[in-house]
Order: sequence, then C-alpha cells, then structure tokens
Amino acid sequence: MGYKLPEKFVTTVVGSYPYFPEALKAFRLRKQGKKNFEYERLVREAIKKTIKDYISAGVDLISDGEQRREDMAVFFAEELRGFEISDYVRIFDNVYYRKPVIVDKIEWNHEIIVKDWKYAAKLSQGRPVKVTLTGPYTMYSWSFDKYYGNMRKAVFDLAEALSHEIRILIKGGAEYIQIDEPALSTNPKKEDVILAREALEIMLGRLHNVKRILHICYGKIERLFPEILDFPIDQLDLELKNSKYILLELLKEFSFDKELGFGVIDVHNEKVESIEEILEDIRLGLEIVPPEKIFVKPDCGLKRLKREIALAKLKNMVKAAVEAREKLA
Amino acid sequence: MEKYAGICGSFPRPPELRRAINAFNEGRISQRDLQEIYYSSLLKVIKIQEESGLNLLTSGLLLWDDLLRPFSEKLGGIKLGGLLRFFDNNFYYRLPIIIGNIEWREPITLNEIQILSRATTRRVKALVPGPYTFIKLSKNKFYRSEDALVEDLLNALKQEIEHLHKFVSLIQIDEPSLVDPELEKDDRRWGVEIVNELLAKMNVPRNKLLIATYFNLDLESYSMLLEIKAGLHLDLLSNKEAEEAVRELGFKNDVLSLGVVNARGIFPEKPEEIAANIEKILANTSPNTLIVSTNTWLDYIPFENAVEKLKILGRILRNMEV
Ligand SMILES: [Zn+2]
Repeated sequence: MGYKLPEKFVTTVVGSYPYFPEALKAFRLRKQGKKNFEYERLVREAIKKTIKDYISAGVDLISDGEQRREDMAVFFAEELRGFEISDYVRIFDNVYYRKPVIVDKIEWNHEIIVKDWKYAAKLSQGRPVKVTLTGPYTMYSWSFDKYYGNMRKAVFDLAEALSHEIRILIKGGAEYIQIDEPALSTNPKKEDVILAREALEIMLGRLHNVKRILHICYGKIERLFPEILDFPIDQLDLELKNSKYILLELLKEFSFDKELGFGVIDVHNEKVESIEEILEDIRLGLEIVPPEKIFVKPDCGLKRLKREIALAKLKNMVKAAVEAREKLA
Repeated sequence: MEKYAGICGSFPRPPELRRAINAFNEGRISQRDLQEIYYSSLLKVIKIQEESGLNLLTSGLLLWDDLLRPFSEKLGGIKLGGLLRFFDNNFYYRLPIIIGNIEWREPITLNEIQILSRATTRRVKALVPGPYTFIKLSKNKFYRSEDALVEDLLNALKQEIEHLHKFVSLIQIDEPSLVDPELEKDDRRWGVEIVNELLAKMNVPRNKLLIATYFNLDLESYSMLLEIKAGLHLDLLSNKEAEEAVRELGFKNDVLSLGVVNARGIFPEKPEEIAANIEKILANTSPNTLIVSTNTWLDYIPFENAVEKLKILGRILRNMEV
C-alpha cells in the first residue's frame, strides 16, 4: 500500500501505548483464564484505537501499542513453554508482585504476537508496523530460574524460542523487528553485554531485508559501550531526553554510525514538550548522524502516560520532525 | 571454631501478615488485630528457622519496610521522601530526608528482639543500618557540616545498639554501600572510618559486632573492609572475585559470616558442594566464629522459596559438622 516513509527524521514509537478500557477489560478476562472470543474482540478494539491515535498524530512507523501485554516480561512468559508465574515478591513497603519462574526447558510452541501484528498492519493505511519483542536477557533477568541454574543456557533457549516467532513474522511481511532489552542497562557486567550480543546473533544475525532494532532505556547505558557498537543491529533505539542527552558525548566519541532511535519525549513527565523544544533536541542528534539515520521517537513505551498526554506529545513530536525536515536537513 | 547457620537479614512476610498489613492500612482491622497477627507471624518465622536447623536466629525484620526503616521513621529529624531503587534490585526504599537534628528518642527495634530472645533458646542476632549506608542513601537538607551529621547519627545508632546488645549474641550493622562499585575509593575509605568511629564509641564487646556488606565484593573493596575492627559478613555470590579475595587476603577478626546461599534467586543450591567450598575458602584462615548465611536479605524471593533456602542453610551446617 502507498505510504512512503520520509527520507529524513522518520517518526516512530517504542512500542506500548496507554491502555484503552478495552485492554484493561481484556487483562481481567485473561487473568480469569477466559481467552475467549470476547477477549480477542477487546484486544482488537484496543489495537484499532491505538492505530487511530498514531495515524491522527501522523507517526510514520507505528506499533500495535502492546495492548495485549499488561507486563512485557510476564506476557511472553505466559506464552512460552517452560515458565510459571511465581508467588508474591515484595517490590516496596507492603506492595508485592509476581514474577515469571523458569521451571522447564524454554520452548516456543505457538504464535504469540503474530495476529496482533497482522491486525495492526491491516489497519495501518500502509504505514509499516514494527514488531516489538521482550529480549532474552531481560526475560531472564526479570524471572526466577528454577531449572537452568545457568544464565547462558537459559538466554540462548529464550533466543531460539523468540527466533521462531520472528521467522513467522518476517514470513508474514514484517520488516521492522525490535528487541527490547531494558534490563541490559540496570547492572550490566561485561560478560552480560557479550551474552546479550550472542543472543541477538541468534535472533537477528542471519536476517536480511529487515530492519533490526534494539531498544534500551534508563540506568547505565554507557556501560554497554563499546561492545554495543558490534551488535548485529541496524538501529539503536535509546532513551535520551530523560537523561538529558548525556549519552550523546559517548556516541560522538565512538563515532556511532548506525541508525539512531532518538528519544525526544520524556515518558516519565506529564509535561508536553513544545515543538521548539523537540526541534532543539533533534538538532543535537545531527552532531552524531545525518537526518536519514535519525528516527524521532519517545524515550520509551508510552503506557504509563494518560492517553490525552501521550497523544499530545506524539502530535508535537511529528510537527517538530516535519519542521526539522525543512529547517535542519 | 564455633559454627553457626543463620540468615543475613530479613525473611519474607508470611502471607497472612502481608494481608493483615493491607487490611490495617485500609482500616479493616485494628492495630491490636495487626499486633496479634504480627506476633504469631514472628513465632512462625522463628519456628521455621529452628526447624531448618539454624542456630543463629533473627526476627526476620517482618515489619521493616526497608533497611533504613524503622530508623528513618522513628529517629527525630528525618522525614520520608519518595521511592528509590535499592542498589541493583527490583526493590525500592523510601528516601530519608534529614530536616533537623538526628535524635534517638526511644528503642526502635527492642520489642522484636525481646520477643525473639524469649521465644528461642538459640543464639540470636539483632540488626541495625550502618551509618555510612544511611548517609549514602539519604538526603541531607539540614546539616551544614558533614561532621555534625555523622556525630549525631553515630550517637543515635550507639544508643540503639547499646539497648539491644544485652539481649543478643550478635549485632549486625548493615553497610552495603561500603562495597558499592559506583562509589569512589576515597569515599568508601571515609565509610570505613565512620564505621570504625562508631565501633570505638560503643560500650559493646567487639566480638559481638558484625559489619554486613552485600551485592558486591572484590579484592579492592575487601582489602579495605579488613581495616574494620569487627566481624564481617560477606556476599560471596555477587562477584567472581569474592571467594578469591577471602582466600588470598584471609581474615583476622573474631566473627566471619559467609553469604553462600543466594537470597535473590530460587535455584536450589547443593549443600555438600557449598560446605566443601567453604573449607577451601578458609584454607588459610580460621575465625573464632564462622557463620554460614544467605548472601543478603531474603526480601527478593517468595515466602515458600525462602523456607527452602533455610533448609539448605541448615544442611550446609550439618555437612560442615561431620
Ligand atoms: Zn524502554
């Protein structure tokens, strides 16, 4: 279908969008084990509304809004073989949550997000829809391991399992594959960085004619350098706005020359960035890579923002990118 | 060498206590109801430790919301701020904001220690947050001089510890910041000085005091820890260098506590292997008192998994005794 991505300053999203009421209802059905026709209808409705918002804002490269996923790790754990969900673990005060537990060999045994991607692609009016998957390193870090007792083995099995899903998506026409590895920046030891790279090799190493993206956010992203420069990816998607672009020095120092997912929207801040402010921030990116390699986008998923705010932020982001094409390119 | 097995710090709240705290916060049960459930939960946790074969017990710190509370709540001069990540864990503590003179007003943890020591005939351990970690994890909006802050904080901790020590065999002072890889070496050296200052101030036998570090241990930080004039608890699981550091540099003080069971994961360890490994680590050193322990607090895994971890600790002790 006829949607042509702009050559410069393509606008995109990281993945998640604020949950529509339909998605929240679907989560409740899912918890009750009722993954029935009504559940599917609700998820589809939520995806449809997400896409409508993306298109009205004018975003070029969109996602399904991850409306089916209440939690990015628990969702994949529930869909892959080998996981259970733990008893309650404390997160602070008297607030508890449940974590995935690896209890058996991890394997892929059914399609997980293929139908959501297809549905989104059908509604996108020709805009490409990126696929977002929670990466093996993050899946392992956010789970308990009762089976492997060995991070490497588990991470490789996770990578193999996710590879299955990726192959099917690509066969179906997906052209943008994004792996989300937020855990990689929390406490990365050098051996972990290398492990994450090996896992990416398994998933993305042999892919052709697709755009391979890695999203990382918050924490100590600087620790991933310089190893990250050799990751088998085409685009590095970073949180930058929230950390006031301190990473740019490092990117400059290492002569970064891949495509850069350039965070210009702070998803932890309710304040809507003005067009001028975003334009100024985009300008900073030009010190690293040319406009063709800059993908203008929020720092991270938008799910924690109110929908009105998320939408307003996206609208300004797109307007700023349009101006940038005229003024900065 | 006397040998003990005991957990490093907290034990997960039993489900009934977790629910009771929620019920109390929502006004569904009274303070008295909560107290009763707390009391029975504490007895339960004591019993779990005994049945697992542990011979150095803690109160499980069941009402502590994080390492710095209840101190940040009950010391004068401090108010609570927002949540902050606790080192590299998916666990958050509340920022203590220092807004006045830090002042000890009444015993803070004495009640749980008295219940504990009455409920068991085994040795017991009390726990307080250390001064360096307290300062590193809080925000000072009051003191112009760091020396004045340190002095008031040390006095406050001294009073608490002196109230506790008659009831316990050991007092553990938690100082994870001392091994924080994010901090500069000079800063950490200052931490060791503060800790030694606290130790010198107190009228408590040195062999009753244990400085606990966790989440990291390497050659550099361990050599600095050896300047502390008290026992040490070390996390041997956090870093590949940890075991080597202890093997190479040894240990000369009375009490050594080795964190060898992972309190942050649920994969079951093999007690025989760990017991054998401890012998290797201690090839060149022989503390008067050796404690086998979890590497850190048991706050990061579910209740039932923590029970399993205690059984493993108990088995390690039995393996070392034969
Ligand atoms: Zn993110």
